[in-house]
Amino acid sequence: MSLFQAILIGILSMCAASTIACLGTTVGNYTMNRPLVAGLLVGIVMGDVSGVIQVAIPMQVMWIALVTPGGTVASDLRAVSYIGIPLAYVGAKAAGMDFSGPEAQGLASSISAMTGVIGITLFYGTAMMNLIWQHWGWAQLEKGNIDCLGTVDVILPLISHFVLSFLPCTLLCYFGAGAVEQVFQNLNTDVWYIKAILTVGSLLPAVGIAILLKSVVSKMTDLIYFLFGFALAASMGLTLLAATAVGAAFALVNYQLTMSKANGGSGGSDDFDDEEDI
Amino acid sequence: MAEKKISQKTLNTSFWRWWYGNLTCFSQEHMQTFGYMWSMLPIIKELYPTKEEQIEKLNTYSPFFNTEPQIGGLVVGITAGLEEARANGAEDIDDEMINGIRAGLMGPLAGIGDSLIVGTYIPILLGIALGFAEGGSALGPLFYIIVWNVTEILFERFIYKKGYELGGTAVDLLVGEQATAFRESVIVMGQVIVGAMAASWVSVGSPLVIAKDSTGADVLLIDKLDGAFPKLLTCIFVLLAWFLMAKKNMSPVKVLLLYVVIGFVGSVLGLLG
Repeated sequence: MSLFQAILIGILSMCAASTIACLGTTVGNYTMNRPLVAGLLVGIVMGDVSGVIQVAIPMQVMWIALVTPGGTVASDLRAVSYIGIPLAYVGAKAAGMDFSGPEAQGLASSISAMTGVIGITLFYGTAMMNLIWQHWGWAQLEKGNIDCLGTVDVILPLISHFVLSFLPCTLLCYFGAGAVEQVFQNLNTDVWYIKAILTVGSLLPAVGIAILLKSVVSKMTDLIYFLFGFALAASMGLTLLAATAVGAAFALVNYQLTMSKANGGSGGSDDFDDEEDI
Repeated sequence: MAEKKISQKTLNTSFWRWWYGNLTCFSQEHMQTFGYMWSMLPIIKELYPTKEEQIEKLNTYSPFFNTEPQIGGLVVGITAGLEEARANGAEDIDDEMINGIRAGLMGPLAGIGDSLIVGTYIPILLGIALGFAEGGSALGPLFYIIVWNVTEILFERFIYKKGYELGGTAVDLLVGEQATAFRESVIVMGQVIVGAMAASWVSVGSPLVIAKDSTGADVLLIDKLDGAFPKLLTCIFVLLAWFLMAKKNMSPVKVLLLYVVIGFVGSVLGLLG
């Protein structure tokens, strides 16, 4: 990987960086920080959009729902997206793997979990460095300088991003890519420990899905719907979009039942007026 | 005295500042506080002419604030409306009342935002996008980028505006009877979809041979399990991870590490793979 490519990836990582992104929550964290989107962006930088996206797919599955209640994180997606994805791609390419094959996918899942968890240090590092700017901000507010807010909220955190996103991502991509390439060029996937890593890679997405499951299940009976959806796809072969349609039918029935109960079971759905846009 | 009214331009500035800056200066100690103050600054400057008043009113927004920021646009909208009423002399609106509303809303809204936006809406969009992305197509990420950003901005603008117009009653949009029924129904859909995602994307296999059949061919355990309930092993591993996190309060990182160990040992012993 050229230094120029590594720098571009470093800049992307600053824009996307988990939760605290310098492009904001919606565009930064929830768009550019998602591994699937990063697959496209890194793909453009690396000159192989389709290959990188294929590597990014299992990495996205791993962290499909990353809720950060109260600012505690299970994974730092910036590290997954802008360290994990480029290195996994370089490795899979050097080993001559088929990007959509089980080996490349298992490798990508393993790297996704590893970079995500190790990357948490970057998240807390950024948050801690921001304390310095906030400290300065409070002092300025004491003095009555209310116009410092823009500087504190937007400009100064860029320094945190430079130190804790740009530098680690750029350096790891630049120096790491060569090392990964060398290791993977002579990789024999039949060795027992490589097999074990690939098995781990096939197991880990289960944890990612379970994190998502936890965010939608509040009581044991909710698991019935989960099993229902599981059977739709596994036994009846429904695609995700088709399962969404079936799920929507159940949602509608549930809504009408709840509303008619609320109306004393008399009116049904008379007041069907607000279509919320969520 | 003419009634003070926040101009549309100032409201827009405030909205975009919140939309963009809610978490840019995040720290564990103050979380979204600075983003909130930065967003309220133009409103306060327009409503209060003297510097002393501006400093004093801004101070109202210095207590800790943290919620799911996108749905939190509602709270910023509500306080914009309250601040306008206060500038026009409404006596019952003081620091305590404004911060009571902020503190009272941030918890419930965080719960709704996390489960509905981050836990259901985004995964569904990503799920569809992953389908489009199969084989490495750029269509998947492009679909997500466009649909997510357009719908999120429309939604957040809508609730900010409603918050400003309706004040405290705007909360009914999100926690009223009808809204609660709607929300719970969407989550039912989410539960079905998560099941389908688990079956489509996770695949845990096992090379374990349990017997030889009459022709001498291997009988695999996994085939027997799948005969009973397709992808049963996968289902068990997903549910086990859920159980450990939801019922045993294990952190996701610990469960990940446990699964690394299980996968490693299982592969070496020839049970998984």
